[in-house]
Amino acid sequence: MLHKVCRLYCYDEHDRQDLFQEIIVQLWRSYPGFRGESKFSTWLYRIALNTAISDLRRQKRRTTPLDPDQIPTYFQDIRYGAEEEDQLQQLYAAIERLTEVEKALVMLYLEDKSYDEMEEILGINQNNLRVKMNRIKEKLRKITKEAAYGTR
Amino acid sequence: MELDSLKYIWQTLEVPPTGEDNHRQILALIQKRSAGPLAKMRRNLYMEVALIIALYIPSILLYFLLFQGRLAGIGWLFFGILLLFTGYFYRKNRLLKEMQCVGCRVRSNLQRQVRTLTKYTRFYILTGTLLIPFMALCSYLIVRWKYPPAPGAALFHQLSRSPWWQNSLFLLIPLALITVGIYYANVWYVGKLYGRHIKKLQDLLREMDGD
Repeated sequence: MLHKVCRLYCYDEHDRQDLFQEIIVQLWRSYPGFRGESKFSTWLYRIALNTAISDLRRQKRRTTPLDPDQIPTYFQDIRYGAEEEDQLQQLYAAIERLTEVEKALVMLYLEDKSYDEMEEILGINQNNLRVKMNRIKEKLRKITKEAAYGTR
Repeated sequence: MELDSLKYIWQTLEVPPTGEDNHRQILALIQKRSAGPLAKMRRNLYMEVALIIALYIPSILLYFLLFQGRLAGIGWLFFGILLLFTGYFYRKNRLLKEMQCVGCRVRSNLQRQVRTLTKYTRFYILTGTLLIPFMALCSYLIVRWKYPPAPGAALFHQLSRSPWWQNSLFLLIPLALITVGIYYANVWYVGKLYGRHIKKLQDLLREMDGD
């Protein structure tokens, strides 16, 4: 899950590693304060998304490419079939154009979280979440269409 | 592209099972220091503390031990300023500790960050603005107390003959102008350091609250 958050919020490997490290550090530090008042997974998502959203300076793009050999093994993406890979790349490209909050919503939606859980993680009421989710879906459709026309 | 159709691919998108090597890498990550903005602010604060200690402790010792103890009063004054700095650093550190709650809901964490960071910048501007006039006033008092104007020194001699309120006015007018200048310089500097960050956090909150 942490890798997915990093993949959504950072566009290059270097930034992803930085964010991953920061999330791990925050998890490690916050764990003694985990009282079990929410599900462990809810707490985990909160830490990951709070770290990713709040750490705004990391969200700028880097231009220096990273040597693939330097990428730790836990960051090497699993490979899919060509069609699935293409769909995923389209998704990532479209998500790049979403805001930080929208990315969090998409992430939780794709993880199949209920609106109850989303509210627990994000603190946005369910009606608002539903409205936002519909808008995001529409926005993603539009972005994909634009991209498709652009490539013709 | 329909988001729902991607759910399956997304949910099966998993990294390979973690091996011994990956555990070692994660343990190494935990040992590293945080690179987050809050950790950087805290490190800057510790550097400020170290700088103030390095400047004030030798000065205090100097005034207590040299000049046959005649300038011990200045040493005590510096000691008082050091105590004020202790309060200043304590307050800043407490605000930094309150600033983030990563285990809280994202919205309440953002609200907390905006609230605390705003308090932090206000405190930064207030103390940064008052420090220079405070030091100037202290220096003036020290000079008046330890070095009374000699009859031969034209400026001090004239000042000592004029009533005390004229004397103070002479000091306060330029000091007020300088303070105003320092205030705006501080507002600009703090805005440069944290302004963009606060604005971005406020935008995120507005976006979360908006229907």
